Amino acid sequence: MGMDRWFLIVSTLLAAIGAVWGMLSVHRGSRSPWTVAWMAAAFVCQLGFLSVRGELRAACPLTDPGEILVFLAWSLTFFYLLVGPAYRISLLGVFSAPVVVIFQALALIPGVLSADPQKVVGGNPWHETHSAMSVLAYGALALAAVAGVMFLILDKQLKDQQLKSGLFRNLPPVRELLVSLERLLWLGWALLTVGVVAGFLMPQTTTAIAHPAAAVGAWAAYAILLVVKRVRGLTGRRLSLLTVLLFVLSLAVFAFV
Amino acid sequence: MELLCLGLNHRTAPVEVREKFAVGTTKLGEAANELIALAEATEGVVISTCNRTEFYLAAENAKQTLELIETRLAVKIQFDPSVSAHFYRMEKTEAARHLCRVVSGLDSMMLGETEIFGQVKQAYSSALEAGATGSVLNKVFQRAFGVGKKVRTETSIQEGSTSVGNVAVDLAEKIFGHLKNSEVMILGAGEMSRITAQSLVSRGAKSIFVANRSFDRAQELAAEMGGSAVRFDDWQSVLERVDVVISSTGAPHAIVQRADVEKARRARKYRPLFFIDIAVPRDIDPEVGEIEEVYLYDIDTLEQLAEEARGLRQLQILQCEQIIDLELIKLRLPGT
Repeated sequence: MGMDRWFLIVSTLLAAIGAVWGMLSVHRGSRSPWTVAWMAAAFVCQLGFLSVRGELRAACPLTDPGEILVFLAWSLTFFYLLVGPAYRISLLGVFSAPVVVIFQALALIPGVLSADPQKVVGGNPWHETHSAMSVLAYGALALAAVAGVMFLILDKQLKDQQLKSGLFRNLPPVRELLVSLERLLWLGWALLTVGVVAGFLMPQTTTAIAHPAAAVGAWAAYAILLVVKRVRGLTGRRLSLLTVLLFVLSLAVFAFV
Repeated sequence: MELLCLGLNHRTAPVEVREKFAVGTTKLGEAANELIALAEATEGVVISTCNRTEFYLAAENAKQTLELIETRLAVKIQFDPSVSAHFYRMEKTEAARHLCRVVSGLDSMMLGETEIFGQVKQAYSSALEAGATGSVLNKVFQRAFGVGKKVRTETSIQEGSTSVGNVAVDLAEKIFGHLKNSEVMILGAGEMSRITAQSLVSRGAKSIFVANRSFDRAQELAAEMGGSAVRFDDWQSVLERVDVVISSTGAPHAIVQRADVEKARRARKYRPLFFIDIAVPRDIDPEVGEIEEVYLYDIDTLEQLAEEARGLRQLQILQCEQIIDLELIKLRLPGT
């Protein structure tokens, strides 16, 4: 087994420990300061994986579905480490860690990650920019979806007046969650814009219409969501539901095109 | 050598008595040495906060020292003999247990508060620097700090609000985070609204609007809280900008209807809105709570939450006392 897989296995285990550790702490009614540490360690191993694969590919490692999944998990972890501690929403780690584990566990399924990665020949910088920016964007959008799920849980607890759980005590305030969610959406959308533009600048194949169409569709859907939120306003519940829905939908679409 | 404590606090003495014994923070070390001389003891620490003054001493005979110090203090401070009734006197293990309770915040006016930990630490450091402590008090205080930390990490003594006002403020913070960007409107200038609004202001609420049927009363309350008075007929227009509404009018029927809030939603851009209804009969139609971004809590719910917190706190106190007793048995402190 290659070094890349070892990095991936260790990273997945670290994220899983972070998730379980964090959940146990929340169940006990406290917040573990270690979630960030476990996620940071997982992030280092993700970097290890990506650098080994990058070396083998002699390009940005976004060639097979496994690499895309790991890059997505890396991007999600990156934005969590950037946003979570800064906005005092460390519980975001407890919610993000399981998503990272799922993405990386999927990548570890035999056949998903190429066992013998070949060097990319004739690579195009616009192509690489398109892939890297798009996946990076989806990392931010995934984290926005995670914040959306957190909001929906908190909103339900506040509405039902169920305020005794450890989870309720540890969830960040409604307003903080919504502010973080919106900022992550803007960040994700900005990165997605760069990715889509780069996609149109890379050499095109005449037959592949579905992928650019899906990319533009996802970009436009996020743009409409952000404009409506900014101009007209949206309730926290609708914003969160739409963020989660858009993320799951666009990810599902890209899995097929 | 025996440990002893002589003191008075907010429960045993009114402020006019407590202030006679208050010692400034910069004079704690000096006071500890004076205390040793006065009591003919070997070691001493003076703790003085707004709620308590306590003298901890290590002496050959605790009983005799307690009598001696009280007599000499009466002469030195020239207090009335009736003041003696406000003192509590403790010896050996009882004194050590009391110190642990004080450090843990169990003896504080606001149960579980953390400020006292730092205040006792400062008192001890001052005495230590002034050379007023020795092997007995050094060990007792250092171990008491350890016990205090343990109590705070292993229990949730500080958590949960036990009054309706504080529950409402905690909920407001759960919705809006820091209240510095939050605006509050009070409907009805009753006592409960005033108390709750004051709690919100003390936690940083940006501005307060007071709407009351009697405009004079609204102006009076607004002036008291540094807010603005609003004519009662204009409260709907203010609803467009505020985040929290506290309602406590004496109206016999609901004054805030779903339609009133629906009208303001667009202008509010569907931002979260927190209604605290502390009126009986209720001022806010329960249907208002069905609006997506509205969180509506009435007096019964708030009272129930406060009651639950009070019950939980009693359990926590028992747990804290158990930790202290177990630690005292384990530590076998000198002078106890």
